[in-house]
Amino acid sequence: MQILTRNWDKIDPLNIDSYIRQRGYEALQKVIRNMDGAEVIVEIKSSGLRGRGGAGFSTGEKWETAAKTAADEKYFICNLDESEPGTYKDRTIAEKNPHQILEGILIGAYAIGAKKAYVYINGNYKKQAEILRIAIDQAREKELVGRGILGSAIDVEIEVFEGAGAYICGEETALLNSIEGKRGEPRLKPPFPPVSGLFGKPTIVNNAETVANIPYIIRQGAKKYSQIGSAVSPGTKLFVLSGAVKNKGIVEAPLGITAQELIYNSLYGGGLEMGKEFWFAQIGGASGRLVPAGKLDQPLTYGNCEYPLGSGSILVVDKNANIKDLLLSWAGFFHRESCGKCAPCREGTYRLWEIAKRLKSNDFREKDRENIEDILWTLSNTTFCPLGKFASVAWGDAVKMFWDEIFKA
Amino acid sequence: MQIKINDKSYDCNENDTVLAVCKKNGIQMPTLCAHPDLLPSEGVCRMCLVETNQAKGLVSSCTQKVSQGLEVFTETQNINKARKINLELLWADHAGKCAQCKKNGRCELQKLAEEYNVEGFKFVPRRKELKKENELDLVKDNWSHTVLDEKNPCLSRDSQYCIECRRCVKVCKEIQTVESYAVNNRSSRTNVGTPFNQPLDCIFCGQCALVCPTAAITEKDETDKFETAIVDPRKMVVVQFAPSVRFSFGEEFDQPPGTFWEGKLVASLKALGADKVFDTTLAADLTIMEEANELIERTKNKKNEPMFTSCCPSWVLFIEKYYPEFIPNLSTSKSPQQMLGALAKTYWAQKEKIHPENIFSVSVMPCTSKKYESQREEMRASGHRDVDLVITVRELARLLRKKKINPLYLEEEKFDPALGISTGAGILFGQSGGVMEAALRTAAEKISGKKLEKVEFEMIRGEAEYRCAEIEIGDLKLRIAVVHEIRNARKLLEDIKLGKAKFDFVEVMACPNGCIGGGGMPQPTNKFVRKARIEAVLARDKGMPLRKSHENPAVQKIYKEFLGEPGSEKAEELLHTKYKNRKNKKD
Repeated sequence: MQILTRNWDKIDPLNIDSYIRQRGYEALQKVIRNMDGAEVIVEIKSSGLRGRGGAGFSTGEKWETAAKTAADEKYFICNLDESEPGTYKDRTIAEKNPHQILEGILIGAYAIGAKKAYVYINGNYKKQAEILRIAIDQAREKELVGRGILGSAIDVEIEVFEGAGAYICGEETALLNSIEGKRGEPRLKPPFPPVSGLFGKPTIVNNAETVANIPYIIRQGAKKYSQIGSAVSPGTKLFVLSGAVKNKGIVEAPLGITAQELIYNSLYGGGLEMGKEFWFAQIGGASGRLVPAGKLDQPLTYGNCEYPLGSGSILVVDKNANIKDLLLSWAGFFHRESCGKCAPCREGTYRLWEIAKRLKSNDFREKDRENIEDILWTLSNTTFCPLGKFASVAWGDAVKMFWDEIFKA
Repeated sequence: MQIKINDKSYDCNENDTVLAVCKKNGIQMPTLCAHPDLLPSEGVCRMCLVETNQAKGLVSSCTQKVSQGLEVFTETQNINKARKINLELLWADHAGKCAQCKKNGRCELQKLAEEYNVEGFKFVPRRKELKKENELDLVKDNWSHTVLDEKNPCLSRDSQYCIECRRCVKVCKEIQTVESYAVNNRSSRTNVGTPFNQPLDCIFCGQCALVCPTAAITEKDETDKFETAIVDPRKMVVVQFAPSVRFSFGEEFDQPPGTFWEGKLVASLKALGADKVFDTTLAADLTIMEEANELIERTKNKKNEPMFTSCCPSWVLFIEKYYPEFIPNLSTSKSPQQMLGALAKTYWAQKEKIHPENIFSVSVMPCTSKKYESQREEMRASGHRDVDLVITVRELARLLRKKKINPLYLEEEKFDPALGISTGAGILFGQSGGVMEAALRTAAEKISGKKLEKVEFEMIRGEAEYRCAEIEIGDLKLRIAVVHEIRNARKLLEDIKLGKAKFDFVEVMACPNGCIGGGGMPQPTNKFVRKARIEAVLARDKGMPLRKSHENPAVQKIYKEFLGEPGSEKAEELLHTKYKNRKNKKD
């Protein structure tokens, strides 16, 4: 089942006509000619689409809140900050089929009544930002972006906004601060962005993959979409396979699939590389949980899962790997990316990184055992935003599963 | 609405935070980033965590709004665990040089560390300046990003002590709108400092030092200069202290806010070795004489209206740096500190036949900016620096503690009479609105030639940020305004520029509620403490036999013997000053 990857490598991302030939912008036409905003929202709501950024909130409900909040101005933002290590699905969509994202943005902006939309893109994605800019220009020439879309009275401007490559700016309120020219730090919630977001106006922040699903849903109808994948979270999902798996890269699979299948089915991962033995998998990027072999058979959905699928990346770790390398890599990442706002995250991630370095060089102290537990506890219980909690997830699992190995000299 | 805290019900308003309800009802709650003047807090320090019946985990009480049926617990096992771990993390981020620290015993972090039993370092301190590679275990991982800034005359910054609570950022941005502080870098390199880590270049109001929970931002300590002068046998050390100081000094020695400690202060200074103690309040009366004269002249000639008071050096600096077009509006009268300094080295020196070179003039101020004022090049009317040294209330208290002098056990003493008689008008200078009220008392009697029946001008009292009134004196109508905090002053200037506001006379004080909320005052200073100090100031004025500046016999004598009359050539030379455009060309 291909929704997101269907036209990859079939169309020329630098040529809008090749997208249009694949029924591109048909959904936008349908919306502008035959539907009002409320109808679009009903359609998206009944499709069951959930946000692909990780939290899995219902996209339609989010839109509904923004649409219902009265304001003179509203914003629609496509979140392409994607900075989770081992995750590169969003930038690949932008690279292979930028118009799919643009069409989704235009429909979303129309549905909530926004005249201005942004693509907030990670500052390291220079090439993808350029591709998106070219796509916007071409769409503008065809009266798909800008004033009077398709001859109607609808105006939607899209701007590509390059962040500075901070992980925290993928958190929607930090992203808003970043666009406003402020320090990329999360805001206090509530108010939630659909009520008070960019410059205090109702704002939708949707992950790029979420947005890319929109044209399909409109074109094929919510009913058809809701039958794909699992009942709690319909549709397909992009998974990024990395590590000891044979076929590395992006695969599209219906939600509800198991990690077992993604790793071993020849359609996807095709099993482990020659001579490597499975140890555990990490599902959902650096902030994802560690899954032992016996637990790979759980369906991956945005429902209540023991192993949340997060951004959808799967790292396969084989028995030759050293847990200490992984601990250092996770701790280093979260330490580097902590925004520095709240005490437990700023100091805790630093201390964890410090301890990881000591573990790596077999230079640890007895008190490190207690300190690890204290830091992980405070990270998962007391930080201002979820980043602190994320930082403790993989470490928490590693400590539970491999305590002895961690402290083996 | 009612909520339950620790199984007891409390009344609250709809928009209250849980922290506000706790504070109002005396429920203990540790806070390092929240400050009563800087609410709502942003939930940075994660110390005020509580558990509620409505959320799964811990929530910060400073950001949690009250709601129907809310039940809060402030002391559970998890809460104490969280506070302790977070404190340990902050403690290790901090220099931890308590014994040699200026704030020892007065540091909020230190107090909490004691309360929560943070003993030693569980984590390796990373802010410590390490001399030797292996001074401590695990030194290798130390990652110190220390910024030391001593490049201005008023404030010291030492980021070894900084715990990134951001109170300074908030007070500078929200109350003073000067925005001298910012957060630099991220992760553990996060550093609260100036934009691009430039040396501090602001209006030196010192509100940042006043809210700083640790010693990261402090007044520049110059007590050593005082000590040196005292032991120098050639120097005659004369000390003055500001009106507001006598209402707050006691707090440094565990007295309640607003305790009136004038005699104790004189005695303390004498005990330290000061030769003479004068009262800045007398010079406040002089300021009024000159300023009232100036006001009458200006309103008569309709020149440079409105006239702005110039007693507050931070306000003067704000005009010079940000609104130089208003320089002609500033009263040219010097501040009381500088008037007294000039008189001590001229009038008094001549009377006592002392060479001004041998006089070491010290002033004790509620203010950090006064340090800067005394160093301005114009402030050399006597041919020498008129005021050689300015120390804040905190520095004086520190010095007394060092010398083991406790004012509590000293007999009260009196000012030296030559420059030591004061009036209620001068005392009012200690709080916002006081200069205005004192000036009106004198101007009203001078213009009308009649004695005032009621000396209080209540319409300009109170705590509102922006108080205006229209006052009729004879056939003269005066439109006046009283403003405190720079954010309000900025608003007033913008309103004047746009023609939305028209005034004849405006008093501005940079600090909240004027000098009694000054940057050099004892900590803690917050709205509750300031209120107590204001009440004490007003009570003192009310109880004084002399309440108008022109009735001050010492002032009358100085004019008679020395200056002639307000605005005379001699007065111009000694008691008036000039200002300079200091706007950054790049702005």
